[in-house]
Amino acid sequence: MATSEALTAGTKVETSASRSRGDVGFYTVLALCAAAFLISIHVIFFKAPVESTMGIVQKIFYFHVPIAYSMYVGAAVCFLGSAGYLARGTRGWDALARAGAECAVAMGVLVLVTGALWGAKAWGVYWTWDPRLTTALLSVLIYVAYVVLRAFAGDGDSERKFAAALGVLGAANLPIIHYSVQKWGGNHPKVITSGGGGLKHPDMKLALMLGFLTFTLLAVVLIWTRVRIELAAARLGEAEEEALELGVGEE
Amino acid sequence: MSANQAAQQTPGAAGQGTADDRGTTFRAVEGGNQMQSGEKLLVEAYAFIWIVVLVFVASMFRRQRRLDRRIDTLETALQKARAKSAGE
Repeated sequence: MATSEALTAGTKVETSASRSRGDVGFYTVLALCAAAFLISIHVIFFKAPVESTMGIVQKIFYFHVPIAYSMYVGAAVCFLGSAGYLARGTRGWDALARAGAECAVAMGVLVLVTGALWGAKAWGVYWTWDPRLTTALLSVLIYVAYVVLRAFAGDGDSERKFAAALGVLGAANLPIIHYSVQKWGGNHPKVITSGGGGLKHPDMKLALMLGFLTFTLLAVVLIWTRVRIELAAARLGEAEEEALELGVGEE
Repeated sequence: MSANQAAQQTPGAAGQGTADDRGTTFRAVEGGNQMQSGEKLLVEAYAFIWIVVLVFVASMFRRQRRLDRRIDTLETALQKARAKSAGE
C-alpha cells in the first residue's frame, strides 16, 4: 500500500515537473513569437522598399506567403497526428491531429482573405477561379469539415477514426495546391517558386524570411496551446472518473 | 482670399475641371487598378490577421481557464475524499 502510494506520488511529482518544464518551453516560444512579430512588422513597414509596379499593397505578400506556409504546417501536423492515431490509437496523437486541423483552418482563412485583398488591387477582383485559389479553398473546406466533425459528432472512438481518415486524405490536396500554378497556369504570381524572378532587394528578402520565422513560431504556439488544452481535458476526464469511483460531487 | 475660395477656383485634384464641374458631374477613375486604394487594402489585410489571431488565442485562453478551474475544483474535492477514506 505504502509502495503504491509512493509510486503514485512519484508519478505525480514527475508529471508536475515535466509540466513546468513544458510551461517554460511554451512561454519561451510565445515570447520569441511576439518579438518576431514586432521585428517583422518593423522591417516590412519601415525597411522593405515599396514595390515599383504594385505599390504599397505588395507588402501583403510578406505575410500572405508565410501564412500559406503555416497552413501547410498545420495540415502536415494534422496528417501526422491522424496517421499516428490510426496506427497507435492514443489520445496524444488525436490531440495533435485536432490541433493541426484548427491551425490549418485559421491560417487558411487568413491566406484566402489576404489573397483576396491583394487580388482586389492586382486583378481588380477579389476572387477568381484560378487553379491555386480553387485548390487552396478546397483544402480549407476539408479542414473546416474536420473541425466541424470533431465539434458536433461526439468524441467516440469511431468518430475519432473517421476524423483521422479525413486528416490523412485531406493532406493529399497539399501538393496539388503547390504544383497547381506550374501544372495549370492561372493568374496567381510565382515570384519565389521555380520560374519566378525572385525578390530583387535584400530588405525584401529579409522581410519575407522574417515573415516565415514569425508565422512558423505562431503555428507552433497555436498547435502547442491546443494540445495543452486537449491534455488538460484528458486530465479532467481522469479526475471525473476518480470522483465517480469515490462518489465525490463537485461542490 | 480665403483658403476655401482658393480651393473652389483651382482645378480638381485629378486635374479634371473646376469646382463647378465637380458640382455637376461625377467621373469614374479609369482602370481596374485604380478602383481600390492600396493603403486601405493593406490595412484591412493586417487588421484581419490580427483579429483572427486574437480571437483564436482568446478562445484558447478561455477554454484553458475553464478547464483549469474545473480540474482544481475536482482535485480539491478528491483530496478531501482521499483524506477522509484514509482516516476511516
